[in-house]
Amino acid sequence: MKKLSKPAVNKVTTLKEAVNRFVHDGSYVSFGGIGDRTPTAAVHEVARQQKKGLRLASDTSVSYVHDSILIGLGLVESFEIAYNWGGIWGPDAVYRRALEKGIPKPIKLEEYSNFAMGMRLLAGSLGIPFMPVKSLLGSDIPVHNTRIKFMNDPYGGEPVALVPAANPEVAFIHVQRCDVMGNAHILGHLGNDDSLARAARNVVITTEEIVPTDEIRRNPNLTVIPYYCVDAVVKVPFASHGRGCPYYYSMDVPFGLQLAEQWGTEAGFNRWAEEWIFKVDDWDGYCRKIGWERLTRLAEVERRHQQYGEAR
Amino acid sequence: MSTIIYAQNYSLMELMAAAIAREFRDQETAFVGVGPPLIAAMVAKLTDAPNLTIAVEGGTIGSSPRRLLTCIADTTICERAYSCGTMWRNFGDQQRGFYDVGVIGGAQIDKYGNVNATALGDYNRPSVRVAGSGGANDIGSSVGRYSVMMRQEKRRFVERVDYLTVPGYLDGGDARIKAGLPGGGPHGVITTMGIFRFDEESGEMYLDKCHPGITPEKVKENVGWDLKMAPSIGTTEPPTQEQVEIMRVLDPYGLYLGSGREGMGDVEKGFDFYMEVLDKSYDAMTELFRQKGL
Repeated sequence: MKKLSKPAVNKVTTLKEAVNRFVHDGSYVSFGGIGDRTPTAAVHEVARQQKKGLRLASDTSVSYVHDSILIGLGLVESFEIAYNWGGIWGPDAVYRRALEKGIPKPIKLEEYSNFAMGMRLLAGSLGIPFMPVKSLLGSDIPVHNTRIKFMNDPYGGEPVALVPAANPEVAFIHVQRCDVMGNAHILGHLGNDDSLARAARNVVITTEEIVPTDEIRRNPNLTVIPYYCVDAVVKVPFASHGRGCPYYYSMDVPFGLQLAEQWGTEAGFNRWAEEWIFKVDDWDGYCRKIGWERLTRLAEVERRHQQYGEAR
Repeated sequence: MSTIIYAQNYSLMELMAAAIAREFRDQETAFVGVGPPLIAAMVAKLTDAPNLTIAVEGGTIGSSPRRLLTCIADTTICERAYSCGTMWRNFGDQQRGFYDVGVIGGAQIDKYGNVNATALGDYNRPSVRVAGSGGANDIGSSVGRYSVMMRQEKRRFVERVDYLTVPGYLDGGDARIKAGLPGGGPHGVITTMGIFRFDEESGEMYLDKCHPGITPEKVKENVGWDLKMAPSIGTTEPPTQEQVEIMRVLDPYGLYLGSGREGMGDVEKGFDFYMEVLDKSYDAMTELFRQKGL
């Protein structure tokens, strides 16, 4: 078996190169983050490279910056998911069209709850085949997802639901700071990214900043992902734009509301994708299109309200 | 005890948010989902339940932000929190029994309080598809007790949900316990017309209170089964003046409780308006927290 741990070397590369190297047609991919710290730049690059037949797995996906982009482009074969919606930006018309009408193509759905997805990734990160949970019992979720099994606790007899380990082939995780070999600090809530980094075969970290290893060593408790999980490190400031990144920049609600309106029709979504994904070369091009002034204001407003290490 | 002063002018959403706020008690830990319940929890914290701890799915515990919360995992939820950890750990704490109360929403509910948050119609080709469980199934399975926020419509209040995302009392009686669910089950349903509770024996939902101006008959017309009634139907307690004032500080532009989203959707002015919203709510909330000694 190929060695799982990755070397302690400089892994800095570009997103174009990382996506090209690790994502293939039919790959089993997971994009991390939850609500914020979404690896949106990576989602856009996968879309730009038109990787097809993808099998996606997420706990909670915020549609507009996450999995629904790939669903709307017809690049997704199957979707393991607990929650896919637009949050405060509103309902996700792309997801609705795919599931209600098979537009642009039907996707195979495998639904869980958030806790169940978290436990699947935890099992994957521990190298064990499944986890028992006290969720899902009595609901219709296992009726339509037969990978969820039941058993009675062999010690006490109580019923439990079993969920299978998830081991994605590729994970994209966005973090605030990281050194060149991939030791990654995450500030704020973690979602399930600590498990995802260990469960996945290959891990691409996008980061707001690349910092010296000594800076990592000064705050080792903040290292959620150690370098040996990581294959590639890419510096991508504002990679979660649309949503926010704790202590770095706030959510761009007006952008999301306009985006949600554009996604309302299939033609509107396609126009949006053409304009924001295919007509820009990379995330830097996207940022220039959004405007650095706007991005700077989102960063300033976040820092005005909270800075790491302070409680105001 | 000071006299309670009720608000004279308030919206339906403010009435509902106030009712939700009263579902929380001091010294409890609440697992709160996205939307108006987040505001309701903050209102509770700033009024009768200063030691209410808010936990959310993103992995944060005890946030005490001075900006409007827009999501269960936005940058704001980290603000002044006790702890920022993982999602599965918060759900694990809930399954272990640390969380007392939860609030969820849904697209459909049935007479035993089972909630559909997934799909209307045939699951494989739904007439209306919505977000899916997220953490709702987990909250319904494990939290001490939970309340549901619903729009009161006949197509949403049905004999049996099209898809059972969140377990209420399942088929009633002791079905929940037999299924092995650790949590206590649904405690209340707060709708656009009234407040419902559940019979302790049968687990069946009954109408407990009507909102001011709403009759039990009107509610019955908007329920798809033969609805049971409390022996005497009360009137929902209106929001207090203080609750409404706090809501308007928390959400000065009515992002949740009014039409604030419309202003932000404006392509020309939307972004400047949004920057103003973030800063305005910050100063006002900082002042409010200071007044409350929080």
